[in-house]
Amino acid sequence: MKPHRFLSPYLFVAPALVVFAFAILTPFVMTGYYSLTEWNGYGDMIFVGLRNYIDAVHDTVFQTSFINVIVYILLTLVVEVLVGLLLAGLVLTVRRGSIWFRVAIFTPVMLPMVVVAVLWSFVYNPDYGLLNAALTELGLESWTRVWLGDEHTALLAICLVSGWIYAGFYMTIFYAALRQVPSEVIEAARLDGGGEWDILWRIRVPLIRNAIEVAVLLCVTGGFQSFDLFYVMTNGGPFHATEIPTTYLVQSVFRTGEVGYGSAMAVILTAVVVTMGLLLAALRRTTGREGRTRRRPLANAKEAVW
Amino acid sequence: MVSVAVRVRIIRPLVLTALALLALAYIVPLIWMVLSSFKTNTAIFSTPFALPTHIDLTRWATAWDIGNLGRYALNSILITTVSVLAILGVSSAAAFAFSRYRFRGSGLMLGLLSLGLILPLQSYFIAQSTMFTDLELTDTYWALIIPYTAMGVPLATYLLKVYLDALPEELFEAARIDGAGDLRIYAMLALPLLKPGLATVAVFSALSCWNEFLLALLYIQDDALRTIPTGLLAFSTRYVTDYSLLFAALSIITLPMIAIYVVFNRQITEGITAGSLK
Repeated sequence: MKPHRFLSPYLFVAPALVVFAFAILTPFVMTGYYSLTEWNGYGDMIFVGLRNYIDAVHDTVFQTSFINVIVYILLTLVVEVLVGLLLAGLVLTVRRGSIWFRVAIFTPVMLPMVVVAVLWSFVYNPDYGLLNAALTELGLESWTRVWLGDEHTALLAICLVSGWIYAGFYMTIFYAALRQVPSEVIEAARLDGGGEWDILWRIRVPLIRNAIEVAVLLCVTGGFQSFDLFYVMTNGGPFHATEIPTTYLVQSVFRTGEVGYGSAMAVILTAVVVTMGLLLAALRRTTGREGRTRRRPLANAKEAVW
Repeated sequence: MVSVAVRVRIIRPLVLTALALLALAYIVPLIWMVLSSFKTNTAIFSTPFALPTHIDLTRWATAWDIGNLGRYALNSILITTVSVLAILGVSSAAAFAFSRYRFRGSGLMLGLLSLGLILPLQSYFIAQSTMFTDLELTDTYWALIIPYTAMGVPLATYLLKVYLDALPEELFEAARIDGAGDLRIYAMLALPLLKPGLATVAVFSALSCWNEFLLALLYIQDDALRTIPTGLLAFSTRYVTDYSLLFAALSIITLPMIAIYVVFNRQITEGITAGSLK
């Protein structure tokens, strides 16, 4: 359609561009500039070139924070995505009458993460927490721990909360995808004598590969950006056992006033997130093309598993 | 086929029971939270699994009175409402122009906006905070409304453009022939047709504004302006040893949200999943 007045489309687009340029694009470019300076936020800004980046790469805490977040992502791929897939498979066997279950499991997704984090730090509380109380009740007193204060369990404890929140989210995505698998395909497999479990893993799951790839993409790129749970539950402690890039750079910028150094870490993190996102997306496109050339879904499904 | 029927008849109740147990285990922390809010601090310690002796809402009332929870909720409602309305208005206008007009620079402008789909918050919030401090925006509602709007616009524009692209061109040509101007076509034709898309965008935008934490933590120090996430955190550090009070505050915040979710679960689930799947 041709605009009635030449300027109209520009006026329609202007508010979106102005607010985006003001609040995101400008600070994005400025963060990049800060990363090349030494600056405490108000005094003189000294240009130092790439020194912040060199320091960041050699900073053992920053290295640890990346290892921690990668461990966190790998574990959440299991407790969020894989558990979500299993739950979706379970729900699929009953379908009707499962709505209350899906509502219950999805509930944590829509609660503020801070609220969930506060609640779970009570569950993990060594004195009156639900977890230690339950273990004591079951006669497993030796298993009780200061869950969030113990270097060996803190990260794992946070991963579990993350799973508690997001397993329902991924279940919902997978359930929606699984329901779209044509029933003829499933019937054919049943007639061939396939058990429900085999049908789930060998036919349904490969057929919803697209949804699974999207879920992995979301889990990985979202994982790198985590902050709320970690900040509220441990704030990186004990001894950096749960330090992740964002808690560390918030600490550097807003507590110790190293704006330049924190910006360099932010740029590195951004580069990692964007690269991972583009890489996974590119991977999906290439495998997607192969998938489309093979037209028979059943044959395709079996090949994908073996 | 008989075996399938038998299998279904046996498996179905089995799976349903398993699901019921699983759902129960899943919401145990939430049940524990509500039950503990009715107990005394000593009872929370000594009998963590016992039912409260009676339903006593005084702790809830105390938490509400001294905890500023009403203020936090009001701030959250205000900031979320203004941000969501801004997102809907700004993005629907942009999506309309991108979808329906061909104009110079549209590709470049859409490309710039699309950057917002991949850039994480971490890539700009440091400079944003110094910018907002310089402009004296911190400790005002604008410090959150502006970034929430900016963060919501790219995805909203993208989704609404997809909706609009699916509409037939003849509809718009016909309106043009009838003499409708650009603004009229947008307001009287595009917006009403966009209603389902706007609803979806509203749901996930509202939830992400309502739950946002990092920026709220950095830009708002004034307790009277805090939103629910940062307000609750402040509350929990202030009354760190008064457990039943904390549980009461948590219950006051979560139960209404759960109630709303149970009623509108379909719309909310669809909104959230659509919002994250892009």
